[in-house]
Amino acid sequence: MADFQEVSYNSPIEGEISENAGNAHEEDGEELTTLDEPVKDTVLRDLKAVAQKFSHIVYPRKNSVLLRDWDLWGPLILCVIMAFLLQGVKDEKTGGGGPQFAQVFVVVWVGAGIVTLNSQLLGGHISFFQSVCVLGYCMFPLVVAMVFCWTVVKLISHQTAILVVLRLIFTSVGYGWSIFASLTFLGDSQPVGRKALAVYPICLFYFILAWMVATYS
Amino acid sequence: MDTDDTVLEFGSEHQPKMKKTIIHPIACFFHLIFRVSALVVYIFCGWSDAGFVTSFIIILLLLSADFWTVKNVTGRLLVGLRWWNKVAEGGESAWVFESRKPASLKKHPVYKAESMIFWLGLILPPVLWFLMLFSALFGFNFHWLAVVVVALILNGANLFGYVRCKFKSRGQIGSLATKYIGAQLFKSMQSSEGSEGAKPSSTTF
Repeated sequence: MADFQEVSYNSPIEGEISENAGNAHEEDGEELTTLDEPVKDTVLRDLKAVAQKFSHIVYPRKNSVLLRDWDLWGPLILCVIMAFLLQGVKDEKTGGGGPQFAQVFVVVWVGAGIVTLNSQLLGGHISFFQSVCVLGYCMFPLVVAMVFCWTVVKLISHQTAILVVLRLIFTSVGYGWSIFASLTFLGDSQPVGRKALAVYPICLFYFILAWMVATYS
Repeated sequence: MDTDDTVLEFGSEHQPKMKKTIIHPIACFFHLIFRVSALVVYIFCGWSDAGFVTSFIIILLLLSADFWTVKNVTGRLLVGLRWWNKVAEGGESAWVFESRKPASLKKHPVYKAESMIFWLGLILPPVLWFLMLFSALFGFNFHWLAVVVVALILNGANLFGYVRCKFKSRGQIGSLATKYIGAQLFKSMQSSEGSEGAKPSSTTF
């Protein structure tokens, strides 16, 4: 998909050529536009944005610029991993199975949507997709915990007390981390008096996910 | 007579070129490949005994790849339109519907064939998914309904975004045209009032 940028030859070539190419839009009278950007730049920019968001979840710190350009790639990837790892488990003895793939999917997206709706109704100044984006990306610690649990279960095939304890520890660490990360990003967007009302559903949302991770993985 | 000429010139300048050329074959390919294969996989998996989860994941990944490609790449390459979301400082989100300005449209013209491929590829898949919606709904296939709903959301968002881009741009060009025609009419009236034998070429550019 090579889209070569056209450099206008109206002006005599002088100075740095790369700069001229970058300014080609402005000569057209278009201010900040990305219509003529090479495809490689578009891909790299989005990949970089996704990677940066993951790094901000691993080490939560406030960044309003990062919060502003939302994307749903991270939530999608995490949701697929989660649903995929959870659905395969079937408990032969009790007859009860894990949640279905589609169910996990619906829980994650509808859950994130409802939590966001709640925070909007409370008067939080954050846009719908921003909030869904943050809630989705903050599933990352839980997904990591689930991968750990999954590996441990695969390594130790029979149920033991240590296994249960290990799973609980992994999950609660992941749960705490998810809550902490999401509150770091979303905490400021709520009016001061109603913070608890907005935080409670977030905790509940991650609790349901953590419960699924702890019990079914 | 004079104004008629200039108006025609103005219109033809910004119309899609009638040449049947495709200068972005790769963009055309990627515009169609993901959405068509998502539909094919859906239809194929409905008939065969392929696992639900596997086909769900495949269709979902194809659809999201298509969403990204159409939204970010093929739209601006093939028809010079783009839409995106911008979030302001206070958390208000604004949707930006962008189209090429006449100046850069001259440099990157929209070709008829490419525009046809783009719009047909944009409109037909959501229509087909909509039909699938009914077949899944009345067949009580609620698992597959989830797939169809995701497909409709992703394909529909792109369709909506580009239709908004198109109408906004058409409105802009329309208002520009009326402004221009108005100015030309005013000019020609002035010139005809001032000097009866004014050269018509003075108002054309």
